[in-house]
Amino acid sequence: MGELITLLVTCVLINNVILNQFLGMCPFMGVSKKQSSALGMGVAVVFVIVVAALVTYGLYYLVLVPLGLEFMELITFILVIASLVQLTEMFIKKYSPSLYKSLGVYLPLITTNCVVLNVCLINITNAYDFSHMLVYSVGTPLGFALVLYIFSTIRERLDLSSVPKAFQGNGIALICAAIMSMAFSGLAGIV
Amino acid sequence: MNRIQNFKNGLIKDNPVFSLFLGICSTLAITTSINNAIGMGVSVIIVLTMSNVIISMIRKITPDEIRIPVYIVIIATLVTIIQMLIQAFAPALNESLGVFIPLIVVNCIILGRAESFASKNGVFDSALDGIGMGCGYTLAVLAMSVIREVLSTGGILITNPFNTAQVILDLTLFPEDFTISLFGSPVGAFITFACLAAAVGAYKTHLDSKEKAKEK
Amino acid sequence: MIKYILAVLFFAALVLIYIGLYLMNKKTPLPEGCENLKADCEGCHDYACLHNPAHKEKEGN
Repeated sequence: MGELITLLVTCVLINNVILNQFLGMCPFMGVSKKQSSALGMGVAVVFVIVVAALVTYGLYYLVLVPLGLEFMELITFILVIASLVQLTEMFIKKYSPSLYKSLGVYLPLITTNCVVLNVCLINITNAYDFSHMLVYSVGTPLGFALVLYIFSTIRERLDLSSVPKAFQGNGIALICAAIMSMAFSGLAGIV
Repeated sequence: MNRIQNFKNGLIKDNPVFSLFLGICSTLAITTSINNAIGMGVSVIIVLTMSNVIISMIRKITPDEIRIPVYIVIIATLVTIIQMLIQAFAPALNESLGVFIPLIVVNCIILGRAESFASKNGVFDSALDGIGMGCGYTLAVLAMSVIREVLSTGGILITNPFNTAQVILDLTLFPEDFTISLFGSPVGAFITFACLAAAVGAYKTHLDSKEKAKEK
Repeated sequence: MIKYILAVLFFAALVLIYIGLYLMNKKTPLPEGCENLKADCEGCHDYACLHNPAHKEKEGN
């Protein structure tokens, strides 16, 4: 149990997927201009990653390994993720328009989000058992959502400050990310 | 003439990484050493050129409705092939690049060029565009990795990717006491990237103002 | 040998499922009140994302 908590803290705070592994930079730069959109994107990512990780994990150990097709891991995973995103979007459109209103716009952004593919691949490479896999697949997107939200609040204030011309836009955002990354590296002592 | 101009633009002015902000994830992550940067750059050039050529060849028979899924399937297949080749012939590179080789699939540069260039242009132009954009990416990762490696280790070390024991270049520029280890960490990656992107941005505004002055 | 035939079949099945779902999703109408939803994003050039301006340009033409 203690080991699982350590893993959770590690992937949310210490080995954060954005600030330490640089994954999901596209949505990090793109969807962090407003708090509300950062929140919506965060929730959508948590949802898709948990579902995708469960499906790819099952598919790998129940279909690919018995058939001896481990070399098709990458292509299987990307296709499964892409299909899942389509399925989720369609399902939400049909059965829960209110949920679609708040999350719908972020779902298509996720198909090629590297975080999703990364979590699915790491679950296999690190040979996690089921409980570790579950913790890792929940913790990583939680870390993503947390940093995205904090960053969006910083960016809302950045709009009001005067920035050197060349750094305007993405430049200053990256400098802020660097400082956040420095702050988060201070948390490394927890575990 | 126009083609050469396009190729040149891909290198600096429309650099995919610093100017269009495509494929930032891998650029930040793998630039800790020059070896990694070269390996990643070459893999991206190969995948990008091949995907551009294939997509351009089938552009007339691909139904418009499902073009994105078709592109994703083609790119994923190509990356699987490259990954297997790297695993077989350069295991050390495979170890150090790790999950970033499979993540080329979701690198925005490749799908971006497929959608915005290869799906509208001929095979030869698309191949050229792939090489140009790939070189732009390689140039960007090389610039980042040179800065980071020199500042964090005080020198440059390049080894043969197919045989890590063979050192091609080993250069020490300043003693270890004066290195800044911060640049080897994620913080250094963000700072280096921000500064280089700002420099390219400033160069771009300079070019634009020059052009405007000419028109007047 | 059977392994490779299986691999090809498996691959074909995945591709078909994906393309099928993609088309079905495209055909599913948007729920009421969601026709004009927009993501506040312009920072990335991810062409797989359906919000990318490139898609709207093409459909408009």
